[in-house]
Amino acid sequence: MDKNKQKTEQTRLQERSDLGMSQKVGVAGYFALIFAVIFFSGLLSDKENWASAFDYSTLTGNFGTMSKETATFRGIGGTGAMDGFLFSITLMPAVILALGIINVLDKLGALRAAQRLLTPLMRPIMGVPGVGAFVCVTGLQSSDAGASIIKEARETGMITEKERFILATWLFSASGIMVNYFGSGAALFDALTVPIIVPLLVIIAGKFIGANIVRIVLNIKYKGSDISGE
Amino acid sequence: MENKETQKTNVLDWFIEGARKGWDISIKNMMPNIVMAFTIVQFINKLGIMDVIGTIFSPIMGIFGLPGEAITVLLSAWLAMGSGAGVAASLYASGVLTMRHVTILMPAIYLMGAQLNYMSRCLGISNLPKKYWKWCLLVCIINAMIAMWIMNLIA
Repeated sequence: MDKNKQKTEQTRLQERSDLGMSQKVGVAGYFALIFAVIFFSGLLSDKENWASAFDYSTLTGNFGTMSKETATFRGIGGTGAMDGFLFSITLMPAVILALGIINVLDKLGALRAAQRLLTPLMRPIMGVPGVGAFVCVTGLQSSDAGASIIKEARETGMITEKERFILATWLFSASGIMVNYFGSGAALFDALTVPIIVPLLVIIAGKFIGANIVRIVLNIKYKGSDISGE
Repeated sequence: MENKETQKTNVLDWFIEGARKGWDISIKNMMPNIVMAFTIVQFINKLGIMDVIGTIFSPIMGIFGLPGEAITVLLSAWLAMGSGAGVAASLYASGVLTMRHVTILMPAIYLMGAQLNYMSRCLGISNLPKKYWKWCLLVCIINAMIAMWIMNLIA
């Protein structure tokens, strides 16, 4: 009996060590290998060719350059993963500052105050409690700060999962609109047939329409109960 | 003042506690997502499929009183609001889009704008579970279509 047990254990161990060799490799695996070789080899690195979309160094991209006085450390004209990396660093101070301040405001009771004062207003408009107004006011200027408030409100249980979904949708469509509209939109102000405030009002109306689409769908699908968390 | 300082946590500690959360969420949620988004943008640009998509979508753009080329404005807006506005400005300058077209497109550029970028910022930071993200994307596109329909009436 004991001998048999030992034997099977030995074979089991051997099998395990051979695993790499004996495991089946599907067709996809070989294709992935060929792809990896091509992707990392630089064979397709010709920048003018569309096939360079499948080249590692092309997708890695470049940092922007700083020859112009207006350039920040992100540079101008960067591409790919490298530009994305620096871009995310440019956003970090705002996120860190926003969460720091919001934590202080939250500890001082600002979110609870908004909750109490503005719930009668926000419930009919968007189906969220008063803290949602805080998200809206902040979110028009800064999506990062708005998102930080949503996170904080959810973690402290001031909003439900449903309400987070509604608020996140409101925030997500036309995010940081004040900064973006008057920033990049300025390029098109001369080409408008209506006063520049009109498209902005349509945008803000659109944010509320979108949030209410989510609200209605959620209320039909999950009547009464909250949607489950993770 | 002294009372406040002798308390276990003061305002500065609260700030640092929040700021640390900001660092964590930036590094762990935002940065990987943004690097991915920028890589996808680079991929699409290099592949050069923007024009092909433009011809496919021209019948749909007609519904909103727009020429087929207008889809390139929306597609680039979807990748970055600034580039959407930039494409619209260059198409307007070259006469492909009229003032009326630009006016119709204006709200849509922002309502469905920079989704890849803001996905990581809005939805990532607010910690919305990933399985709901696609619905947020869809709602933004519906928003843009509603806005173009409204603007088509008043432009």
